[in-house]
Amino acid sequence: MSGAAPDARRAFLLVVPALALLVAFFVLPYFSIIIMSFREPATQGVHGGGFTLANYVSAVGDTFILRKLGETMLLGVGVTVITLLLGYPVAYHLARMRSRWNGLLYTFILAPLLVGLVVRTFGWMIILSNGGVANQALSWLGIIDDPLRLMNNYVGVTIALAHVLLPFLILPLLANIQAINPEVETAARSLGASRWRAFWRVTLPLSMPGIQAGAILVFVLSISAYVTPAMLGGGSGRTMSVLVVQYLVENFRWPAGAALAIILAVAAIVTVALFFALTHRVTRKLP
Amino acid sequence: MRRDPGKLILNVFVIAVYIFLMAPIVLIVILSLNSGEFLLFPIEGVSLRWFGALWNSRQFMDAIGTSFQVAAISTFVSGIFGTLAAIYCIRFAHRMRGALRLFMMAPLLIPEILTAIALLFFMYQIGIGTRYSIGLQIGHIIVTFPYVFLNVSSALFNFDKSLEEASRSLGASPLMTFRRVTLPLIKPGVITGCLFAFIISFDIFNISLLLKGIGTTTLPVQLFDYLRWDFDPTAAAVSSLSIIMTLIAILIFDRFVGLRSLRF
Repeated sequence: MSGAAPDARRAFLLVVPALALLVAFFVLPYFSIIIMSFREPATQGVHGGGFTLANYVSAVGDTFILRKLGETMLLGVGVTVITLLLGYPVAYHLARMRSRWNGLLYTFILAPLLVGLVVRTFGWMIILSNGGVANQALSWLGIIDDPLRLMNNYVGVTIALAHVLLPFLILPLLANIQAINPEVETAARSLGASRWRAFWRVTLPLSMPGIQAGAILVFVLSISAYVTPAMLGGGSGRTMSVLVVQYLVENFRWPAGAALAIILAVAAIVTVALFFALTHRVTRKLP
Repeated sequence: MRRDPGKLILNVFVIAVYIFLMAPIVLIVILSLNSGEFLLFPIEGVSLRWFGALWNSRQFMDAIGTSFQVAAISTFVSGIFGTLAAIYCIRFAHRMRGALRLFMMAPLLIPEILTAIALLFFMYQIGIGTRYSIGLQIGHIIVTFPYVFLNVSSALFNFDKSLEEASRSLGASPLMTFRRVTLPLIKPGVITGCLFAFIISFDIFNISLLLKGIGTTTLPVQLFDYLRWDFDPTAAAVSSLSIIMTLIAILIFDRFVGLRSLRF
């Protein structure tokens, strides 16, 4: 294929616009976050003249920020566990279903994802506010006398984030379970395993890659979410992202905000790596 | 059909989750038709008065206009850049294909809030800042680009390369081959990617919040700001308008291309 060489070289022009765009406005900007996080703070202008570690030192020494970081991580783990518990049965059910409702149910999972984030969170404001639908329903049923505080704290943020991110868990898992041959479960059953045992020992381990993909996606998206905690978190349910935006937009403390953003990103990477290490034992045995 | 308690429990649970998924969206649409003043049940009557209020709200109508414009430009640019890059990746890149694909997908894999902050700092450093909303437009292109790239890549992956080779060997130029053979075959992928890019651009929040210029706001940011101070059915009206638009897009799309071909 000697004739292909000039073609291949000219073909490289196809990818040049995209590469230029990404390098100029994606890669370089990431360097500017890192650089900004080491700049000296200033009252006049965006940052001072020199470089310093002070932004990191004061962030790590600040118990308020450490508590916020811990709460954000905990929120991420909570949302991931809830979406797994809600999403796995749905993915399993749809993957194994043979009926004409298939397409409609798929739309039900996909549609919320395509409706705007602010709109969906607004829906949860309607449901969770003090006089909202949830409290109305509960008091009508006689379960509560006084309205429950479901908003302006982590309760509301957790519920709404679980809703917002559920499709991100279901979709990869669905693809994964669909690819598992149902016959393997039948084989386990015919060899005397109970339905539960067949699921636990055969299907669940085989769907581990789907769980991994979905869980990481949900975790990263939930700790980096801004809209939902900003709208539903109030004062006490503020996450790290809300804090970072507050630093940047309201307080105009860019170097300190940049350091917080980097700390959040590093914490996310460490947690994902830990999760990989923990689930590695299961996936390693897979064919 | 044999009765099976395990299956029954699974079915009930799954139905409950579907209700959970759809509830907020359905509630918004119902409450936007409320003739009363508040976002509460039971609704007092059915009317379109809040859609009228929306029509008369300059802030919201301007924001809708801005969002349409930004989404259209993003779709156009991402559509071209993404398609070309996907063709190179699948057809010509060999050793570097994996790394290149990962790089092209990076804006999707890294949280949007970080990209927004990075771009904000960068735009200030090169002296443009948030003037003319250039940063906002570029940010939208960066985030929508992977959707086109991904969908076109998977369309290219699934078709027979020998069709292109046949066209070339019969004397067609590369450009001719692209126009008459490749493009028609990957058209569903391009359409899917572009539709996705448009919807995603319409939803992007963090980049719009941090990079909007003075006096320009996209719809999600405008709705967010509105809900800080007001909590009335105008917000429900604009939300249900965007829900209905999304639903129409999904329905048209499902009719012509099929929902299952969407790639995330």
